[in-house]
Amino acid sequence: MAYRPVIGRFLTRAWRSSGRNSGTWHLKTVLASLIVVGSMSYLTVEGVFAILSSESINSHSSIASGTLTFSNTVNANTSCYSYGAGSSGNVNSACDALFSSATLMYPGTVATAKVTIANNGSLDASDLSVYMPTCAKVTSPGAPSPGGANPCGSGGALFYIQETNSSWVPTTCWFPAAVGACSLTTDTLYFFANSATSSASALDLGPGPAHAASRYFIVGTELASAASNTLQGEEAQFDLTWHMSA
Amino acid sequence: MMKLRKILLTFTPLGAAAFVGGGGTFSSFGELAAWSRSSRREPVDARPSATAAAPRRHALRTTKRVCLALIAVEVATSLSVGGTFASFSAETSNNSGSIASGTLTMSDQVNAGTVCASVNGATQNNINAACDAVMALTNVAPGVYGGTAKITIQNTGSIDASKLYVYAPFANATLTGALTSGSPVTALTVGSLEGTVTNGDSLVVTYGTNTQTFIASGGTTGGATSISVTSQNANFSYPSGSHVSDSSSDTTASNTDCYDAKTTVPGTAGATAGTALNFNPVTGNPFCATALMYIQETTGGLNYCWSGKGSSPENSVGMCTAPISVTLSGGLSGTVTSLPVAALNGNVASGDSVLVTSGANTQTFTAAANAFFGATSITVNSVAANYAYPIGSTVSDTTTLTSLNSDTTDTISNFDTGHPVSGRIQLYPVTANGTVNNAATVQLSHYNTGTYQRTFQVGLYMPAPAGINQNPLQGLSSTFGLKWHIDQ
Repeated sequence: MAYRPVIGRFLTRAWRSSGRNSGTWHLKTVLASLIVVGSMSYLTVEGVFAILSSESINSHSSIASGTLTFSNTVNANTSCYSYGAGSSGNVNSACDALFSSATLMYPGTVATAKVTIANNGSLDASDLSVYMPTCAKVTSPGAPSPGGANPCGSGGALFYIQETNSSWVPTTCWFPAAVGACSLTTDTLYFFANSATSSASALDLGPGPAHAASRYFIVGTELASAASNTLQGEEAQFDLTWHMSA
Repeated sequence: MMKLRKILLTFTPLGAAAFVGGGGTFSSFGELAAWSRSSRREPVDARPSATAAAPRRHALRTTKRVCLALIAVEVATSLSVGGTFASFSAETSNNSGSIASGTLTMSDQVNAGTVCASVNGATQNNINAACDAVMALTNVAPGVYGGTAKITIQNTGSIDASKLYVYAPFANATLTGALTSGSPVTALTVGSLEGTVTNGDSLVVTYGTNTQTFIASGGTTGGATSISVTSQNANFSYPSGSHVSDSSSDTTASNTDCYDAKTTVPGTAGATAGTALNFNPVTGNPFCATALMYIQETTGGLNYCWSGKGSSPENSVGMCTAPISVTLSGGLSGTVTSLPVAALNGNVASGDSVLVTSGANTQTFTAAANAFFGATSITVNSVAANYAYPIGSTVSDTTTLTSLNSDTTDTISNFDTGHPVSGRIQLYPVTANGTVNNAATVQLSHYNTGTYQRTFQVGLYMPAPAGINQNPLQGLSSTFGLKWHIDQ
């Protein structure tokens, strides 16, 4: 490569040294043309035959995430899916109520609801928890003169969360915490509504269910037999949120 | 004439010698050359040994002409010498001389799978675009060990490779519908498109030495089997199996070779698949942009982290931050100084917290030394076991997981956009853990000599960043490729 500029100067000098009528003009033209063609060939050759190469491609590798979803079924009602109608971002706030205001509560009468939490995702749940984001006093439908007390407050309704087996036989009382069957205890709705108010303070129900598995709960509430008359015509409206994480 | 003489003298030293024999007195060819440079307008006695005299100048010019004629004759003679023989003669002939080119080919094997040879590529151009997938991980959860695969790259040719590269392929596919030379093409029928094609992208169809570039006339999502193109006639009859590559891709996470799709098959039988969910959009390939990937070389027990956490800056011992998920191969009891484990499928760095679990029993040990891929024990600081952990107890490196959970850099998307062919990673020979020789002239020796095969661990992990809802990544599948390339 180093000599190529020398050739260039040589050619330039040679070209200048003779006129167009010179006898060597045509010969120079031919030689210069050959050199130009040779240079082009050199450049072309380098571009086409620079190297040998070889390639392989590992195509269609993949990584697929699993799913963590569950259904919430109250009694024998239609299952409500975390990702189903009314949901947003795997949170469904439109599942069935556990209790209805159509069922008027009488002191000493326990109302219960069976809740089935079924993991229908592909991943096991490492944790299940439950919390009560709201509990508010409203007037019972049609009540002519509500007593004014708050069933969510101290001295209000009783409340429990009982885990059972699939035959609805009690296994663990999660709230108020106890082994076996739950019992109704004073101020429990008040305590729960004020302690487990968010996912951060939720009542931890332990690991699971695994994928394709379910857990069963009975939620109970009652107005104590000795409830104050001030609770007449009052209603506790509360949400109960079930939370599962992988 | 001066220049002509120069040319003739350059080509015919015998002619120059003939001139000397005919009256010249040059002591060297340098003098002869100097003489030859004299123009016809110059005094002829410019010859080194001459003295000035006009008649003599004329005579010398004549002599020069004669000599030049002799030179020309010499040239002609030398060209036709094959046809002239003396009475006595002798001859030898070296027949059947030959020159044979070598070969530069490679193979690619994932774990113990089928060896994929570049020469078997359907495109018949020493490129095999259909080698095994590195891995196909399903039902992956955030924060849980993903997977790893070993890839062996071997030079199967007879020529050393001076370069070995790994990089992200462009969005690509294989033609499943042949093109007919001279016929208009408005769509490319392909196998599942790997990547996303954007309207206006350049799509290069290749078979053998034939190539043609088409322009995408619309956007095409990953997995599609047809790509619309602006109509043009095919310049060759590209058969099924021809390669299609989108040379405009790999510029953003949205148009990488890696693409996301909702899973259509659930991770476990009967469970929800991605297509059943309404909170996991695939726009922008979010899972590609979250899933982490590493490439660690392990050739001959020497380690180097080429991509992933640990590669930039390079870990001092060539260790990628690679999670482990193994079990105890021996029980623990009493004082523990090392954990016997099944061959490590990741790395443990000295100082890492190593968690051993058996049922509800757990104990965290501190690694006292580095342990690389394949190691069968982890040296730990001496401590008494808090439980008789049996064989089969699970072992994980929580330091690694914690480190990766906050990593948003070493994603598949970033690999694709950072390392397309223009940003390919040159895989210099590894000379020690964490050290390479970037002046080496051979990076993959020819078959059966030196380092003619190199091994790499490629791993994936789905991070679980603290405080970030990962629900939008549920039920997604990221599909991508890796390209290996050697040069002479």
